[in-house]
Amino acid sequence: MTLSAIEGALVGKRVLVTGATGFIGGRLVERLVLEHGAEVRALVRNLAAAARLARFPVTVLRGDLASAPDLAVAIQGCDLVFHCAYGTSGSQKHRAWVNREGTRRVLEASRAAGVGRIVYLSTLMVYGQTGDGDLDETAPRRPFGNAYSDSKLEAERIALSSGLPVAVLQPTAVYGPYGGVWTEAVIKSLKTGRQILVNGGDGLGNAVYVDDLVSAMLLAAVRDAAVGEAFLISGEEPVTWRELYERFERMLGAERRTVDMTEAEALAHWKRWKRAQPHAVGEALRILKAEQPIRERIERTREGVWLREMASTVLPESVQQKIKSRLGSGGRPSRPAAAELPIHPMTPQMIGFFRPRTRVRIDKAKRLLGYRPAFDFETGMELTEKWARWANLL
Amino acid sequence: MAKPNPAKIRLAVVGCGAVAQIHHLPAIAASDRVEAAVLVDADEKRARALAERFGVPEVATDFKDLPGRVDAAVVALPNSLHAPVSVELLRRGVHVLVEKPMAMSVQECDEMIAAASAGRAVLAVGLDFRFFDASLFVRNLLRDGLIGPIRRFDLRQGVIPRWPFATDFLLKKEMAGGGVLADFGVHVLDLLLWWLGDLTATEYRDDAMGGVESDCEMTLATASGVTGTAEISRTRNLRNTCIFEGERATLEVGVWDPDPEIRLTIADRAVALAGRARPSESGAGSALNFTDVFIRQIDDFAKAVRGRGEPFVPGTEGRRSLALIEACYARKKPLELPWSVVSAGAGAGRETLQ
Repeated sequence: MTLSAIEGALVGKRVLVTGATGFIGGRLVERLVLEHGAEVRALVRNLAAAARLARFPVTVLRGDLASAPDLAVAIQGCDLVFHCAYGTSGSQKHRAWVNREGTRRVLEASRAAGVGRIVYLSTLMVYGQTGDGDLDETAPRRPFGNAYSDSKLEAERIALSSGLPVAVLQPTAVYGPYGGVWTEAVIKSLKTGRQILVNGGDGLGNAVYVDDLVSAMLLAAVRDAAVGEAFLISGEEPVTWRELYERFERMLGAERRTVDMTEAEALAHWKRWKRAQPHAVGEALRILKAEQPIRERIERTREGVWLREMASTVLPESVQQKIKSRLGSGGRPSRPAAAELPIHPMTPQMIGFFRPRTRVRIDKAKRLLGYRPAFDFETGMELTEKWARWANLL
Repeated sequence: MAKPNPAKIRLAVVGCGAVAQIHHLPAIAASDRVEAAVLVDADEKRARALAERFGVPEVATDFKDLPGRVDAAVVALPNSLHAPVSVELLRRGVHVLVEKPMAMSVQECDEMIAAASAGRAVLAVGLDFRFFDASLFVRNLLRDGLIGPIRRFDLRQGVIPRWPFATDFLLKKEMAGGGVLADFGVHVLDLLLWWLGDLTATEYRDDAMGGVESDCEMTLATASGVTGTAEISRTRNLRNTCIFEGERATLEVGVWDPDPEIRLTIADRAVALAGRARPSESGAGSALNFTDVFIRQIDDFAKAVRGRGEPFVPGTEGRRSLALIEACYARKKPLELPWSVVSAGAGAGRETLQ
């Protein structure tokens, strides 16, 4: 898409991107460099994850959001900061800390460096469990009830009350090439088990193709009307969850990988699944949770590091299933018939997430940012499928 | 500290990054032919920490005073330093085992080979995949023509790295010389060259746009005109095997594992053979791991240093994969990634798209 409205506005601008090794930050960097001629810096914790980033003439700075000196060095001299990083490793508590305190530190360093604009990537989840009907930015913010969403809500409050020139974007389900939760994890989940469609999947999935979100971020970096505001960012029209999951199902072939259930059936399945979990595992996890030194020692083992990296890319409730199937299979991944595949359990919270027919309104972003989604669901998914095939995920 | 053992080759390890820590130092510690006498790194703290861990008596921040103190050196520095440091050591008679890729260019390889000859020193290249039993098995099998004349070959190698990089040199073109082709690619291209003989790159595409590539694809041809493809990635988990289609059988071998599965499928037969390569005389044998491989490599180097012949992978062999990589980069075209297209709107990005 052409952002002719802001053409030239970012040429030669010095820009810091946090989370640049990730899905959204990674695509943002590509477009900042190739499309807008910006001078990009990336603060990177894990150099092994920077291969995609290193394809471009960007300055990769090794450092951590938790380190004030690292941030000060990275932000020094920057005109613009895109804060996309969030906690992806360690305990839920640590991840929440990174979301909250990492944001606070980015803001403090930006203040010290006199940065002209900070674009903070928040989430739709700051509105908590949503109801049927239209949702816009006037809706009350409230906790969703998990560490990620609730710490992102705190971080958003910190950003908007900082008095700094901050623009906040609240994307819906972001999908596309290199996508984690709403792309790769969905594919992997449909490969290893069957997905419950709550009430037959007639709830509305508000989804946005990554390039549309990145366009909104670029607009928020340039448009003065963005300062001090939060914007919901989604595609032009929602799809039903059934349409979304069936599109991924089609990528994998003809077999059904979804199961229709009422809310009550989904809840009963969750309870059955929970009861069936071996007690020893639960007890071991409780011990690990309580005994931090033991947990840390296990987390530092090769397997521990690997498991945490794996776990960080997927939804929490599918983590156990995924790891189990990985460890169990050995050799080549086999493809059992769909009917034999387990039905992934869905937490009551996620049942609540998939139920409503919420229609996210993007009028504010259209009005103040000039945001126009360029990818409808089918076009975005076609590109996503091409990528997924190339990435050997299908 | 242990006293110097006259029966062992005294080694310096120059460059204390991840490969020294994970592979070379454990292998040296386990070998009875060599001992680490000095660890050299610009970061003295890092050298000291590793010296303590592996019981190495000395550390240094400069390689220049090594001659006289050691017999040989493992050069595990960023790629751009392989040639300058090796050349200086070799000229002054210090034997060198240099990490892969051997150098940044064929010209540098030639300078290293000449320096080894001038200093009467051994130059070995750390293309450790050649020490896998499977690699030798595949070479013999192909050379003996057991699958018949080869029709085509197809190599896919890709892993998302979890390597604990000590520095960011691999992300920088001026220090790494290239991206995934120079890093992972050199291993698998070296195997193809060893298995098939000289190869010509007829097409090469990668995704670098002003930096270093993370993904590349190429078409290769053998001297007898057999063509094949290779795809190498550090952003995707690929098949990690090479398939050779012969007239009589198809051979598939893992290319990113010291003890890969080898699969032999006889044309038009329903049942295939799948198994692991083992030394002929050792009965069932056990699975080879990377520490075993690096012990084999350092022992082979020590044997060559003691004057019993060429190392298994001499400089002239290391040069071959560099020449192929150089030829690939010389004919580079952009890799087509349909989802990655941007509208080159403003500014400097436009020319990097070309």
